[in-house]
Amino acid sequence: MIARVGVERRPLGIADYALAAWIAILAAVTVYGAATTEGFLTVSNMKAILTAASFVGIIAVGLTVIVLSGSLFSLALGQTAAVSAMFFLYSVRWGLGAAIILTLLLGLAIGAVQGFAVGAWGANPIIITIGAAGLLEGMAVWLSHGQSIVPPDNRTSWEHLANPVLGLPAPVYVFIAVSILLGLVMRRTRFGRQIYLLGENRVAARAAALPITLLTVGAFGIASLYTAGSGILIGATSANASLLLVGSYTYDAIAAALVGGNAVTGGRGSIARTALGAIFIATISDMLLLRGYSTGGQILVRGIIVVVVVVLTNLRERNR
Amino acid sequence: MNGERDPEPSSGSRSQPSETSSPQVLLEVVDLSKSFGPVQAVQGLSLDVRAGEIHAVCGHNGAGKSTLVKTLVGLVRPDEGTIRFRGEELSLRNPLDAQGHGIALVNQELSLVPELSVEDNIYLGGLDVPLVYRQRRLSERARAVLDQLGLRHVQLGTAVETLSIGERQLVEIARLLVRDARLLILDEPTATLSKPEIERVFRATRDLVAEGRSVIFVSHRLDEVFELCDRVTVLRDGRRVGTHEIHEIDRRALIELMLGEMEGARAMVQHEHTLPGSGEPLVKIEGLTVPGSIEDVSLVLESGLITGLAGQVGSGTSTILRALGGLVPGVSGTVCVRGRAVPLKTPRRAVEAGVLYIPNDRQREGLFLGQTVERNLVVARLRRLSRLGVLLRRRAHRAARQLAGMAGVPVERLGSPAGSLSGGNQQKVLLGRALELEGTALLALDEPTRGVDVGGRADIHDLIRAAARRGTAVIFSSTELDEVLDLADVVVTIFHGRIVSIVPRDDATASAILADMTTSHTTGTAAAAT
Repeated sequence: MIARVGVERRPLGIADYALAAWIAILAAVTVYGAATTEGFLTVSNMKAILTAASFVGIIAVGLTVIVLSGSLFSLALGQTAAVSAMFFLYSVRWGLGAAIILTLLLGLAIGAVQGFAVGAWGANPIIITIGAAGLLEGMAVWLSHGQSIVPPDNRTSWEHLANPVLGLPAPVYVFIAVSILLGLVMRRTRFGRQIYLLGENRVAARAAALPITLLTVGAFGIASLYTAGSGILIGATSANASLLLVGSYTYDAIAAALVGGNAVTGGRGSIARTALGAIFIATISDMLLLRGYSTGGQILVRGIIVVVVVVLTNLRERNR
Repeated sequence: MNGERDPEPSSGSRSQPSETSSPQVLLEVVDLSKSFGPVQAVQGLSLDVRAGEIHAVCGHNGAGKSTLVKTLVGLVRPDEGTIRFRGEELSLRNPLDAQGHGIALVNQELSLVPELSVEDNIYLGGLDVPLVYRQRRLSERARAVLDQLGLRHVQLGTAVETLSIGERQLVEIARLLVRDARLLILDEPTATLSKPEIERVFRATRDLVAEGRSVIFVSHRLDEVFELCDRVTVLRDGRRVGTHEIHEIDRRALIELMLGEMEGARAMVQHEHTLPGSGEPLVKIEGLTVPGSIEDVSLVLESGLITGLAGQVGSGTSTILRALGGLVPGVSGTVCVRGRAVPLKTPRRAVEAGVLYIPNDRQREGLFLGQTVERNLVVARLRRLSRLGVLLRRRAHRAARQLAGMAGVPVERLGSPAGSLSGGNQQKVLLGRALELEGTALLALDEPTRGVDVGGRADIHDLIRAAARRGTAVIFSSTELDEVLDLADVVVTIFHGRIVSIVPRDDATASAILADMTTSHTTGTAAAAT
């Protein structure tokens, strides 16, 4: 929240200083790394970072709506992305436009069902989304007979989605556009406002007669819609799709939202924070890769950054 | 009310209640004072409890009863004054410390673990259970104490959750007896009990004092005070206004002591809002029932009329309002607004039908503390402040300014988190939400001034009157008599989930309402008794 006139200053606590120190350390390390890592400060590497950030970033900003609404996370994002990619490459035979629309609708539906279970029945979002993840994976294996989906040879329109436009890959533009769009939705619409209120205090939201079920369906629907969108781009970029794509998208998206400093308990945070978090994580990963760290090393460092930020932001929230 | 006096011959071994100070004094409180911020909760309070007596502490809400109790068990440290117990001066740090000295509190909300057995509960957290203990000896001791309390039929291994509430209360007492409590404080022990259960608790209590233990009995229920206690101390505004042998005082005198000058002061206040009520029934409530809480509540609420529900904590006033707001599952009965039925299933449906409920717990259920004051003020009217789902920010801001102005919330604080405001201002923000809200036929306010100081209270009352003047029907609950008398046009008294009396304010007297709030008698006899 931007400080306005009349906002009273809370005395800074130890957690504030610790968080500031941590950000300073990260910034210093990043600058040092940038200066000393060979091949980091090149145009092509910047493009690579932005591209890598885009796939996860689109999922992460969608996920942020769930986080802000106070329903924690979805653990079915990776599966949703993979299934969307598979469905997209399969359905592209009916035309690119149709494929995109159908895939997005599929994603929306997958999320809406989960949101309904969480919002209307008060089901635990973690449990529900783990269940959904299993369900999606099972259905994908069943329908694809365990094969990779490859688009038909005579249809190549999907390739446009992976091609560079004005020097940057298309996913980067999509990431920027959908982040701005969602940022506006969260700040300027009734839906966005109500999501913040719901996340801030669910009991009060109920007493204030907010449409909790609808909001939760919306939050999961948007997260899943965005994930499907990312799935389309992932599918188009890899040119074939299987469940191997599930990868670590779920955890990377959660990490981006957390590193951005969104409150895990909901109500506080923003889309912009998550977008920056995604770019930051992509930067660090890229740097570690260039410096020759193993995959294990990369994951470890990412984990440490996330844990420290989460602990510090939580301590800070508690002081409020 | 049959007996003002009841010397209780059944427990013969009780120390003689003579006028002189000869009987040994177990507890002596001298000049106790405690303030919370600007509020002086207890002032120069002195009190003595004799060995082997049941000592009632009565007083209206805010009289200082709970502060006194909390001080005695170490939950609150007094600013001044001394507590002498068995001749020794105590400075209690916490309830455990108090227990160690033999002072124990039986709370309204029991602290038993439902899943554990009776015996485990009795020894749970016990200081004197040795690391290596002899199970049989502990069991025998627990058994003996349970028997003493009339729980012969309860097995030590039974899970507490299978017991009735009254039995649980007795297990809680057993737990304290095993720790050899000399002074038991029962805080509203009967609020949730049925008649036979109350009898059982009373019988056990009498047996305890027969052994020379003492009991402090805090209750709103005057019948019980007369039935059970030896002496009664009345508190008002944090001071003691008198201690009397129970047979020296009658019900009426006791109520007068509790009320003090209030009756007189009230007569001087001229109520400027004259005419309430358009006479047209706007809201009809029929047979509103929530099993175990309220029963067959029927009311007709007129447009522009403020109806006050007077009742003690736990009497069901809050449940009635929550039920109207669609927040109570399992409610039955009908509520009609202008002849159309209001669905009571969810708050959303209730609001759409024109019933707006404002919760009493502003921290937990009322406000979004981390969000700005502006967001809190406009939460109920977001639909009108947006077009096609897009918020009209300038309009929303203007609306918030206007509401803040009306509600008396400092406009320069619109951008601050609601949680940073004072309690009184938070409450104004909460009420501000309901102001000038089109489509609201009934405003249901649950304890609208809880925890608000005197000045803020007057402001809030003005807001509520203003809302009524616009033609809204208003119903509110309060446990505070003077608030009900000050604000309500019609006073409805609730006891144990039922309506005891419905009286126009001009005919209402504090003593009649207090009598109704504290007895199970029907309207006729309660009125006759005072």
